[in-house]
Parts: sequence; C-alpha cells; structure tokens
Amino acid sequence: MSAGADRRPSKAEIWLLGAAGLATFFGLWAAVSGFGLVSPRFLPSPAAVAARAFFLLDHPFAGASLPVHVLSSLGRYALGFLLAACIGVPLGLLMGWYRLLDDMVTPIFDALRFIAPIAWVPFAALWFGTGIGGPIMVIFAGAFPPCLINAYRGARFVDIKFLEAARTLGASNLRIILEVLLPASVPSIVSGLRVGAGLGWQSLVGAELIVASSGVGYMMVQGQSAVSTTTVVSGMIAIGIVGYLVDLMLRKLQAVTQRRRGLA
Amino acid sequence: MSTITFDKASRIFESVVAIEEVNLHVRDKEFVAIVGPSGCGKTTCLRMAAGLDFPSSGEVRVGERKVVAPGPDRAVVFQQFALFPWKSVYDNVDFGLRNKSVPSSQRRDRIAAVLKVMNLEGYERSFPHQLSGGMQQRVAIARAYVLDPAVLLMDEPFGALDAQTRVLMQEELVRLARVNPRTVLFITHGVEEAVYLADRVAIMTRRPGRIKEVMDIRSVREAERWENRTRIEDVMDMESFIHLRTAIWKSLREEKSTEET
Amino acid sequence: MHSLLLGFITPFPDSQEDSPLRRSRRRVLVGCCTGLALFAIWTITTTITSLVSPGRFPSPPDVWAAARQIVVVGYADDKLWQHALHSLRLVLMGFAVAVAIGLPLGIWMGAYRRLDAFVTPVFSILRPIPPLAWIPLAILWLGLGDAAKIMVIFFAAFVPSVINSHAGVRTIEPHLIEASRTLGVRGFAHIREVLVPGAMPMIFTGLRLSLQASWTTLVAAELVGALAGLGRVLNVAQQDIYPAMILVAMASVALLGWGTTRLLDVVESRAMPWIAARA
Repeated sequence: MSAGADRRPSKAEIWLLGAAGLATFFGLWAAVSGFGLVSPRFLPSPAAVAARAFFLLDHPFAGASLPVHVLSSLGRYALGFLLAACIGVPLGLLMGWYRLLDDMVTPIFDALRFIAPIAWVPFAALWFGTGIGGPIMVIFAGAFPPCLINAYRGARFVDIKFLEAARTLGASNLRIILEVLLPASVPSIVSGLRVGAGLGWQSLVGAELIVASSGVGYMMVQGQSAVSTTTVVSGMIAIGIVGYLVDLMLRKLQAVTQRRRGLA
Repeated sequence: MSTITFDKASRIFESVVAIEEVNLHVRDKEFVAIVGPSGCGKTTCLRMAAGLDFPSSGEVRVGERKVVAPGPDRAVVFQQFALFPWKSVYDNVDFGLRNKSVPSSQRRDRIAAVLKVMNLEGYERSFPHQLSGGMQQRVAIARAYVLDPAVLLMDEPFGALDAQTRVLMQEELVRLARVNPRTVLFITHGVEEAVYLADRVAIMTRRPGRIKEVMDIRSVREAERWENRTRIEDVMDMESFIHLRTAIWKSLREEKSTEET
Repeated sequence: MHSLLLGFITPFPDSQEDSPLRRSRRRVLVGCCTGLALFAIWTITTTITSLVSPGRFPSPPDVWAAARQIVVVGYADDKLWQHALHSLRLVLMGFAVAVAIGLPLGIWMGAYRRLDAFVTPVFSILRPIPPLAWIPLAILWLGLGDAAKIMVIFFAAFVPSVINSHAGVRTIEPHLIEASRTLGVRGFAHIREVLVPGAMPMIFTGLRLSLQASWTTLVAAELVGALAGLGRVLNVAQQDIYPAMILVAMASVALLGWGTTRLLDVVESRAMPWIAARA
C-alpha cells in the first residue's frame, strides 16, 4: 500500500526514473563544466575527475598513491574503531547490568556527549603531533558513544522474561551473563557497531584534514592547497567508496544475526 | 513432600493492594487451578510461589520452607513461552539440565524422552521462530518437565494459543498429569479449562484478591468417571461437568457485577 | 547494602526495594560523588603533584584564568560571546537552509514514489561521502569565509533531514493512509493533514541529527580555517599551545550544542500534543 499520495510505479518505471536521475546529475555536471560556464579549475568535468582518479591509482601525490593513502587511513581507522568497540561494548554491557556503574559513568558521559569528536583534534595535535595517536583519538571519540550506548541499551532492556525463565531454571549468574544476557544484547551491539563505524570514519576524515601527514584526508588538503580540484574530488570518491563498503559489511553482519532469531 | 502454602500472603505495589491475606494450601501431587477476573492477582500468587516476587506480609511456603528465590524445583511455564530465541529447541530444553550438573549422556536421554512425550521429535535443531505457537509452548513445557520438578507452576500457559491448539494441549496435559502426577499450580482465565484439568479450583475475588472459595473437582471427576471419555468435548458434555462449571461461573459473575457497580 | 551487591539485574528484590524516587535520588548522589572525585583527581594531578604537565592538560585555575580572559578581554581577536554568536549564526543558517529544503523534499519523496525513484540513486552516491569531506572542495569554491562553512553545514544537515522525513512518511501505519483515502482526501491536503503529522516523530529525530551534524561540521570547518568563531579559538589556542583555552572552547561548543538541542526538544514537545508525554 503506497504511503503516499499516488499509485505505486512499476519496477520498470523505478529503474527508468533512477537512470534518468543519474543521467540528469551527471549530464548537468558535464554540461556546466563542458560549456565553459565555469573555469575547469572550479568544476572539472566528470571525465577529468575520472582521469585523475585513475592517474592517482599508481602515481603518488602528496607522498603516496591513492591506494596507499587509503590503506594508511584504513589502518588508523581500524585501530581507532577496534579500540572504541573493545572498550565501549563491554563497558556498555556492564553499565546495563550493574546499576551502580551506570550511575557513576552516565553523568560523565552525558557531559562529554555534546563535544563533537572533531573538537578533540587540538588536544590530539597537542599530545600526539601528527603521529598516529591523534587520529586514533578522534576516531575513538566518534565511534565510542554509539558502541557504548547501544551495548548499554541491549543489556539494560533485555526482556525480563528471559531473566526470569533463566532464574527459574536454576542458572548461575555467570551462565545468565554468558548464555542469556549476552546473546540477547547482540542485535543492539551490532547496530551500535554499525553506527559507530560510520561516525568513526567521518571523524577520521575530519582528523586527517587537520592533523595528518598521510591518508586520504591529508591528500585532499594537499590537493586543495595545490588547487587541484580533481584530486580533491577523487579523494571524496575514494572516501565514499570505502565508507560504503564498511557499512555494507556490517549490514551483512546484522542480517546474519537477525536471521538466526527470525527477526529478518 | 511438595506442598504449596499461601499463609495470609498479601502484596502491595506502591499503595495498591494487589492481593490481601490469601490463604491456600496445595497438597502434595495435587493439581490446583486458580481462576478469577483480570487483575485479581492470580499471577502474583504464582510468581510468589516461584520466587519471582515476595509477599509484603504473610508467607509463601513450598514444602514447608519459605520461598526465597526461584529455582528448578519449582519450574515455571510462562504465558509468553520465554524460549531463548538464540537457542535451538534442544539447547532450550538442555539449559536447565546443565545447571543441575547432570552428566551429558543422561542429559541426552532425558531430553530425547521428554521431546518424544511432547511430540517434538525431529525438531531438536529448529529455532523457536520456526515453530508454531503450540509447538513453542510444548517446548516451554518440555523445558520445565525435563527437570522433573516437584512443583510445576503454569501461568496461563495456553492463553497465547488458538482455540484448537489449546484443546489439544489441554488433553495432553491431562494425560501427563494423570500418568506422572506432581504438584501443579495452574493459573487461567478459562473456567472450563480449570474444571477439566484440576483436582481443585480456587476462585479468586477481584482486586484486592482473596480466595473466595475452593471447589473440589476430583471427587466428582472420579465418581462420574470422566477418564472414560478421552475427548475433551465428551467430558464437557457431561452433566456433572456442566454443573461444576456453571457454579464457578456464577461465583465469578458476582465478582464481575460488583466491579461494575 | 543489599541492593548495591545485587546491582545485577535481578528483577525482583530491586523492584521491590527501590521506589523510583529513591532510585533517582541515589543516582544524583552517586553522580555528584563521582563528579567531585574526578574534580579532585583533576586538581591534584595538575596542581599539587604536577603529575600532568601544564603543557599537556590545564589545571582548574588555568581553565578559570583562560575563561576569564576570553570572556572579559577576548582571545583570537574577539570576546567569547562574539565567537559563540558567530558560530551559532553559521550553524543556524546552514541548518535552516538544509531543513527548509531537505524536509519538504523528504516528505515529497515519501508521498510520490516516482520522485523517490528519480532522486534516490543520486542520493545513494552522495550519501557515503562524509560531510567533512566536502570541506576542501568548499574552500576551493568559496574560500575561507563564512560561505564555505555554510555550504558544508548544509550538506551535513541536509542528508539526515531528507532521510528521516522520508522514512517518517514511509513508516506511517498503512491503515491510516487507507482511512485517509477512503475519506476522499488527496494530494496536498493528504500530505498536510496525514503525512506530515504522522511523520512528525521521525522528522524530529532527523532534525536532531541534522543539528548535531551541523555543530560537528562547523567546528571542523572552523578548525581548518576561519576568521572568527569557536573553531577558530580552538585552532589558535592549539597553535599557541594554550590547553586551558582549548578546554574553554570545547566546553563552549558543548554548551551551545546542548542548548540548541534542548530548544529543539521544547519545540518537539509543543509540536506533537497528541503524543503522551514521555517520562
């Protein structure tokens, strides 16, 4: 039943319209840049961007080729995200189970919550210079809150009937944690990881724009200084692709956990 | 000896009196059903026997010992099944046994036996979401049964099932109960269900809940030989059945009408 | 203390012993104690024992001094309130434009599947690009001034607005739609009377996310290069190696972010009188 004000279009129509949308987008882009309405420095044509992107695949710019920059970014990202997940998830779970811990940590967390992750960059720069610690700290600041909050929610709002059933079946505390509370929290945890991954990636980009000596963000800043718009856009594309792939993987993970419980 | 005794048990929730001075004694291996209007506190009584809740005053004892915590000796069958969705049927039934440190070979045999009794053979590897409501409830009962508990506490176990499945489950439960009797406390809305299943039926008043009267079914059942009729509808046709059922209805109706005035 | 040891989720003794009032009082108490403990640790490590060097993390007196400085005298060419106002202005402008375009677009996309089919693929391409990644491009196009910041904030706030209002329309219960149809309500009236109110909760979720994204992007953009604003304060403070001022700027950003979010909450509670008040 269509939620909207019209009838449902057919599959073919959807495809056509989608293609038309994309065509319009790229067409406008090509037209504006092609007809010389603006200088090619300002808005390079799609072809120019593509050419530059391919060029950067094996020619270095700002110290390394595009894939190497991407790997460098990914490395930091992975470390920062892993740190956030390894601390955030267990801590969130414990906070959900032990009210005392919850009461202690939540006020601190609430106070820090409104500080945009990127605002940690000055401190990161102060403490780590352009070393790897800086971006990791910023990624951590971005990925940590969702990991924590979702693990907390998963633990806290476990359906009480599972706990009661486990207790009436004589389960020890340890068994309850391992076989009831933890599995029950998995969907929430995975959801948190997914959001955290997204925010972490965004934070990485931001951090690299300001305090890095390698990585895609750094490459883009250098491109901007050199007024090489094609480089900048190539960087944006690379960032977009990586971000999308990471999200895709986590979405698959989510589907797997949901299928087992019949939630999918 | 596994008796259940409610000794002047009261429960107050933040100034609302849920049940007031409930007195009920369930004898060893007796099947007692509690019926009453919605919100009268029958589930509260069961939860107190289970150790999931505690009386504000008075005492609840099982086997003459005060109830202080839940445990596998008083297995509970919940209305919402409460099966662990991330565990297979086998693992769900196995859960309680593992807590009792029963050796694994014995566990396997016991689980196989109980699954057979509940007609769940072949579904060991299935997950709850793959099963129908009736099957899920059977798994829930199997999970409780496999522990061979002295006391079985059932909280409207067939409430979430459709009418036909409910009838089948009732017949099965009667079969189980007569073959291997144990102390059972059974909460239900359904008067006919209570009369069909129980040895005695306790009628609860509306809130604040109190035991209004307790009707003896067993003597009538044995005198009239209900067990000669295997099908539920045949039993429900009998005059003695109808008589008991109507008497309980009338008693409940009084509760309803005083509520409406 | 029975309930402290059983801080574990046991559904029974906990619910019996603790009334909500007692629990919230206890939470406040524990929160205050933790806060005081942390403050004590902060003070001790930075002032008395100098475990943490002042170049790394400021002490409470340092922070107080920096705060006084920027409020009274000024820092990075302006006083605190001027910086804050500048940042606030940019956020609100970017946010407003993004919402003004994004919200109706999302609703429209939700209402007309054809429009949805047309726009979504383009959206799917642009969406994975983090808003901050637009900063270099924005600088190339519009320089280091305010316009570039607003552009980036726009991109950041635009996406959540569209997505959430779109989802909000899509997740309206089908029988509400059917009811509207059978009562003969169509077109714009249908959108105004049914879709918009129905999608309100998710619309506000989108607004909240947009606001959050706006602040994050603004700070980032100002960090990269700006002539005024809290981000600039952060930047200059970092270059001056003035950690106390960094802290003051961070706290200011957090405060403004919190304040604007609270404002949104108030608007939200007024906008949906038909939803039961949340505890």
